[in-house]
Formats: sequence, C-alpha cells, structure tokens
Amino acid sequence: MPAISVRDLRKTFQMKRKSAGLRGSLRALWRPTYQSIEAVRGLSFEMEDGELLGFIGPNGAGKSTTIKILTGILHPSSGEAAVLGHVPWQDRQALAFQIGSVFGQRPQLWYHLPAVDTFYLFGKIYEIDDSSLKRRISFLAEAFEIEELLETPVRKLSLGQRMRCEVAASLLHRPRVLLLDEPSIGLDVVAKQRLRMTIQRMNDMEGVGVLLTSHDAGDIETLCRRVIIVNHGEIVYRDKVSALKRRYLTVKTVDVRYNEQLAPDFSLPGVEMVKVGRYGAKMRFDTRVTPVEPVISGLAAAGSLADVTVSEPSLEEVISAIYARTEV
Amino acid sequence: MGRQLSFVVALWKTNLLSAMEYRVSFLTQVIGMMLNNAIYFVFWIIFFARFEEINGWDLVDMLFLFGVVATGFGAGTYLFGNSVRLSSLIANGQMDYYLSLPRPVLLHALASRSNASSAGDFTYGLFSFGAAIYFSGSFGGLMLLRFTLGCLASIVVLISFLVLVQSLTFWIGNTSLLTRHAFNAIVTFSLYPITLFDGTAKLFLFTLVPAAFIGALPAEFVRRFDLLQLAQICAGGAVFLVLAVFVFYRGLRRYESGSAIQVRM
Ligand SMILES: Nc1ncnc2c1ncn2[C@@H]1O[C@H](COP(=O)(O)OP(=O)(O)OP(=O)(O)O)[C@@H](O)[C@H]1O
Ligand SMILES: [Mg+2]
Repeated sequence: MPAISVRDLRKTFQMKRKSAGLRGSLRALWRPTYQSIEAVRGLSFEMEDGELLGFIGPNGAGKSTTIKILTGILHPSSGEAAVLGHVPWQDRQALAFQIGSVFGQRPQLWYHLPAVDTFYLFGKIYEIDDSSLKRRISFLAEAFEIEELLETPVRKLSLGQRMRCEVAASLLHRPRVLLLDEPSIGLDVVAKQRLRMTIQRMNDMEGVGVLLTSHDAGDIETLCRRVIIVNHGEIVYRDKVSALKRRYLTVKTVDVRYNEQLAPDFSLPGVEMVKVGRYGAKMRFDTRVTPVEPVISGLAAAGSLADVTVSEPSLEEVISAIYARTEV
Repeated sequence: MGRQLSFVVALWKTNLLSAMEYRVSFLTQVIGMMLNNAIYFVFWIIFFARFEEINGWDLVDMLFLFGVVATGFGAGTYLFGNSVRLSSLIANGQMDYYLSLPRPVLLHALASRSNASSAGDFTYGLFSFGAAIYFSGSFGGLMLLRFTLGCLASIVVLISFLVLVQSLTFWIGNTSLLTRHAFNAIVTFSLYPITLFDGTAKLFLFTLVPAAFIGALPAEFVRRFDLLQLAQICAGGAVFLVLAVFVFYRGLRRYESGSAIQVRM
C-alpha cells in the first residue's frame, strides 16, 4: 500500500470580491460576489512508503493547498486521498498521530519558550511516556545538532537553528510520513545543506517518507529521487530526478582556451558560437543534434588547447524552462 | 476524558511557563486589572450609598454578583485565553496549527493561551466574594460549594457564548468588530442588577446575550440554595455548550486556512 495516494483531488476557493471605496464595501456587504479560485485541479499521484518525493511548482501552483488537504487542515472540493490508510479530513486525529508536518512559514514551536518546553508539550499531545520522550529528545537533539539550542528561547534562535528544531519537533512521535512545506525558506546555503543532511539521515535511519516542497532546486536534487512538478493546480511533469536531468540536460555549454591565437573565422558544424575571442571561445550545442565526439575533436584540431570546460544547465534552469513551457 | 484532561493541564503549564518569561509584565497586568475593576466598583458604592437598593438589590448583592462574574470571567479567560481572539485565529488561518495536531481542535485552541489580565479579574473576584461574605455575615462550606458551582456555570456559558459569536467567522469572515461588541455587551449586562430589567429585556438576557446565566442567576444561587435555579444554571450551561461545540465544528468544515485574503479591485 502506498503511503500517500491521491486521486483526482480538487480544491476551489471562493473569494469575496470587492470593488474599491466605501460604495464597493457596502455593495460587497449587501450582495457579495464571489470569485472561484481553482487552487488544485485534479491531482493524482502516489508516494511509496519511505520515499523522498519532491513536490515543486511556481508560486500559487497549489502545493501548500495540497499539503494542507493531506494533513486534514482543509477539506477538498472533490476527489479522494488516503495517507497511511486514513482519509485526512475524516480521520484527522488518528492520522496526526502517524504523520508530522512542518510549514516553513508557520512555526509550531512556542515563540517565547525554549524548544525543549514545546517538545515536552508535544510529548503530552502525542501521548509519549516520559522516559521514551527523554530518550527520543536526546536522540533527535544529537541527530539535528541542537543540543546546545534546546534551552534557549526560540525567539533568540537564528532561522536555521529554529528550522532544525522545528523539524526535530515534527519527528518526536516517530511519524511514518513527513510533510514539509518549504522548510528551507529563508535559510542560507550552509543552513540549507545542514537541514538536507538531517532529513536524509532520518530517512535512512527510520525510513520516514518525506513529501517536500521547495523553491530551491538544490533541495530536490540532493534529497529526492522522484519529483512531481505542478503548475496551475495540475501535474505538468513527474519522473525520477535523474530522468529529468537526462531529458533536459542535453544542451552543453563549452568554454575553451588556446595557447595560441585562434583563426578569426573559427567555427564548428552544428555548434552555436556564443562568443569568439582571440585566445578562446564560448559555444553551445545540443547533444541530440550534434554528437559530442566531433565537437571535441574539432576543438582539438583548431590549435593547442590550454583549457576546456563543458557544463550543463543547472536543475534550476531546467525547472524554470518547464514552468515557462506550461504557462498559459 | 482523562486523556484530554492531562493534555489540557500540560497546555496550562506551558502557558504558565510562557508567562513566567515575562514575570514583571505579568504582575503589572494582574495588578492593573484588579485596580481597574476596583475603580469601576466604586461607582456602585457611590450609587448604593445614595439609593440603598434598586428593586430589591443592594450593595451586598452587587458584591456577590461581581464575585461570581469576575471570578468566572477571570478563570474562564485565563484558562481558555483564546476564547477572546478565536475570530482572528480563524480569519488569519491560525487554526492550521491545531488542525495538524491530534487533539480536539476547539479545546486545544481555547486552552493554548492565558491572559495575564484575566488572572487579575480572577483575584479581584475572590476579593469581592470575600467582601460579600463579610458584609452579609453568612458563610459556610455549602456556600463555597455553591460559589464554585456558580462560577463553573458562568465560565461555561461565557466561553460558549464567545465561541458561538466568533464561529460566525467561518461564514462571514473576520468578525472582530462584532466580537468586541458582543463581548462588551455580555460583560456589561452581566454586571447590572437583573432587577432593572423587565420581561422582554429579561428574555434577551437569557437567550441572545445570555448575561443572566453568567451573572445574576449564579450569583443569586450562591446567596441561597434554590433547586429550580440550580436546574436552570445546569440546563443553561449544557445548552450553550452543546450549541457552541456544534456550531464551531459545523463551521470548521468551511475553514479555508487563509480565508482572510481579500482582493481589492
Ligand atoms: N485560503 C485561501 N483562500 C483563497 N485562495 C487561496 C487560499 N489559499 C490559497 N489560495 C489560492 O490558491 C492558489 C494556490 O495557493 P497555494 O498556497 O496552494 O500555492 P503554493 O503552490 O503553495 O504557492 P507558493 O509557492 O507561493 O507557496 C493561489 O492562487 C492562492 O491565491
Ligand atoms: Mg506554499
């Protein structure tokens, strides 16, 4: 049985529309007009037990809405979903004992208290007995490297430190599935890497499945084997991350430098010259059209090589290309 | 039941820990609120010094009334501090947090905050009750029991009323203005001598703005035992509680997480 399965899930929000000024306000009060926003439009997907699944898409794509439905916060307009065998909006409490969630934009730790106080409260909320709770806290404190932070009021922690405490809190009750909505929001590069490492480690050690949304391609690239891309409430791409790269990373950029001056009319068949200088050039080609071999030998034949760099677009560029393609 | 009780006690402990982070501010608010109430009561002292009584109510009745209302109100809004800001929690999408944890949402939300000023009301209420005993000259274990019962009933109806009003947020969006009016109305009316009101007004105080259940009724019950009043108090508490829970959970199905979003066009 998959950990999460979603079938034709839809969510339409009704928003009150109001025109400007007092007159608009009065009219809205008297006869409100509604605007429907289809945040989620027929999503279907599955997540295996213990899987690390990336769930990405541009702003307003419907990621948070989907995650809120899966935690039982929102009722969907139609469609089916099961998380660990529970229908979230029907068995909310039973489900909450088995899943954890972190919303990067909505902290759950008590702001004025040290994180450890919230941990103890969560222990009561999740009905964990005192001795196992203590053991669990010291285990997580070590795994997330937060031993020194636990006694500090949360308001005095940096964002990165706080986020590690947040994720640790969501794991207190050994959930089978973790729903992470932009846990890396606002973190610097180092803090992001640290967070990724700990999530990865918890997945290795306890087999907790993770559904992860992020605007950072790096999070997806390092953590997830599979990715789902949504836009306008619909899935526009789903596959292994490696396949995504293989499929879209066919455009190579080549930077080349020579020990001697280049011929001014330097060119290669099937290769687009981006810039040609006196001692070097920058060029681009698509491996589906032009094979690599003749390009490299052509480069070698043109003179005595000093340096060659071949690079491919980043996953981020690939993703933004997919977003752009699915814009309507 | 026992499960939820130990959970709520843990919440209250955490609230207290949180308040202790700001001890000085906590104490200032407690004392400030006690003074505030005392000054308000001076008005009634002056009033009754002149008129002795209105329709059978005198200053001692007033002391009992303030005793029950302030104690009940203070305890209620201290233990269930979010009862006064439920509307904004709903409108700003802050119920998400309670919905993602495995506990009854309403109970969890209400008990997740303690107001320092409420502790001031509570203490003031006890003082008022003490003064009422002193001036009436009557006291006994049974009166203490009736006082406890009266305050409990007062708490239940007050919190239920606040929940009911603010549950409207699920249907009509942010109701903080309405909430403030309803709040002022219930507090004001529950602190007036009920003998001031006649038939229709009284009906109003037992239904739409159930101030009678919060003030006059339990206060009279504390003074002398009356089986009918006891029945009324219990029935009132039960009816409002059931209604509040029902309406809240009905509304919760419509919860839209960030429903405060509005577009201006
Ligand atoms: N409570 C709400 N009421 C009305 N509309 C909403 C509500 N929540 C979300 N929406 C709308 O639904 C759409 C999807 O929003 P959602 O928050 O799910 O997007 P997202 O993919 O999480 O975006 P982001 O990357 O910016 O977090 C948006 O158009 C948003 O304006
Ligand atoms: Mg989002």
